[in-house]
Amino acid sequence: MLPSAGVQPQFNRAYRMMLFPAVFAVGIFAIIPLLGMLGLSFTDFHLIKPWDRDIGLHNFERLIGDRRFRNSISVMMMLSVFGVVAQVTLGLAIAVGLEKIVPRWRFARGMFVVPFVVPHVAVALIWLSLFTPTLSPINAFFDIFAITVPPLLTSQYGAIAAIVIADTWASTPFVMLLILAALQGISSDLDEAASIDGASKMQIFWRITLPLLKPALLMVALFRFIETLKHFPLIFVMTNGGPGRATQATNYYAYIQTFQSSNVSYGAAIAVFLFLFAGIISFYVARANARLTDA
Amino acid sequence: MPKRDMSFKKIAGVTMMLACLAFTFLPIIWSFILSFRPTTHLFEPIWQSPTQLTWDNFQTLARSDFPFALFNSVVTAGGSTILAMIIGVPAGFALAKGRSQRKFIASWALLLLRMAPPVGFVIPLFLIYLNIGLLDTWIGLIAAYMVLTLPMVVWSSWTSLSQIPDELIEASLLDGASLFQTLVKVVLPAARPGIVATAVLAFLIAWNDFFFALVITRSDTVTAPVAIMNFVSYASVDWGSIALASIVLTLPTVPVIIFANKYIVQSMGGAVKG
Repeated sequence: MLPSAGVQPQFNRAYRMMLFPAVFAVGIFAIIPLLGMLGLSFTDFHLIKPWDRDIGLHNFERLIGDRRFRNSISVMMMLSVFGVVAQVTLGLAIAVGLEKIVPRWRFARGMFVVPFVVPHVAVALIWLSLFTPTLSPINAFFDIFAITVPPLLTSQYGAIAAIVIADTWASTPFVMLLILAALQGISSDLDEAASIDGASKMQIFWRITLPLLKPALLMVALFRFIETLKHFPLIFVMTNGGPGRATQATNYYAYIQTFQSSNVSYGAAIAVFLFLFAGIISFYVARANARLTDA
Repeated sequence: MPKRDMSFKKIAGVTMMLACLAFTFLPIIWSFILSFRPTTHLFEPIWQSPTQLTWDNFQTLARSDFPFALFNSVVTAGGSTILAMIIGVPAGFALAKGRSQRKFIASWALLLLRMAPPVGFVIPLFLIYLNIGLLDTWIGLIAAYMVLTLPMVVWSSWTSLSQIPDELIEASLLDGASLFQTLVKVVLPAARPGIVATAVLAFLIAWNDFFFALVITRSDTVTAPVAIMNFVSYASVDWGSIALASIVLTLPTVPVIIFANKYIVQSMGGAVKG
């Protein structure tokens, strides 16, 4: 008799052969560049004057004293925190809405997914046009009532809000799909039992549905948090880091240092920092994910 | 007629859903309006001259570099998808059905690669490419996209192929097929929807990329997302062409909504039941 699942020792070699190309490719395309980045961060490599000396931790010491770097971290945190809160709130609202409030609209689920597939450059350009006062129908609409909409992109926090809005538009569908999947996994028996016991719909939502959704919400929030750390097209197209340095998030700052100021090794040091930061958070994602699949 | 419960809460709920639908669709409708507006009426509200529409932007777009850039996008996104599927699906199969003590490490490594900031890959890749002459080549860009697509393909096919019953594989192996033949002739056809969705999503990731293409391409292999930026110059912004190009750029991603949307959750990192 054959033993069950994947316990055919005579095929271990074949399985390993199937795994090998992927391991090899990851080694070439991912591990080597990452090691290269780490190596660069300990040098003073510069594109214009490409001598290459080992300067130890100097780049990292410079990071600590760098005002623009500290500014970039606070910008990054604002973009991430506001973005994640907005997306999870809205995603939860739409998922619960589709599932509980207007179940007849379930066909609309696909329609809510549309923004998710729009390439981020296009997202950025569409919202740039909506935030351009001379062009935007929003401004034109409020002009009828003689209300002047303040131009978002020229103020410090306005520019951050603009990027958060565009990101929320593009990413809420993903959050919504994940919450919807978790919501459908919750047995309706609990709801029924609670409603027989006289709980109102609101009570059922706050006391039963939401606590059961908590692991999924945590998971999707962490996942989106890491994705928002990588903002690039939205910043590049909509604000170019401005006004001033108001939207220069860390990822974007690493790009500027490397490719505009040619400070390759310093850019690599920023990237190393960002990588470690994302690595710590992805550890929590892995743990949240494991709990979710075990539960 | 079913009894309609038109309580205040119900109305509030429906209003909220309508508001969300408006937030989702008004920007899309706006981009369609923009792409059909003549330049002379661009800065007038649409309700002042709703009939002022034009096909001019199609000509502008056709005469620009954009169709060429679209071709580059198809080649690079398609190439990296095919390569990632050929390399990644067998690996996903081995992880799903093989016996190994190191599966946890594999899952953690895949997650870490999905999460890693692209700027970390791009800086060394740029320098390596500069030295071996792969900047601004299809091969260079396809290779770079493997960083994005391969972890996703392995993860997603791992999840999909886990659901194939072991009996099916054992029966095929008992009939004397090799493991590879079993994968191609038995497992893949049985898991077709999941595998097709994986390929579609891999294509989407590469197709939507802006950052890698911005750094690695110069002129010969500029992809469509980077080429759109040509319509933005210091002197003026060609909004009509931008809007039309954005719509064209989005069209190939529509299959995702039609037949891959329930796989998005599974392939993007979450292994959520449901």
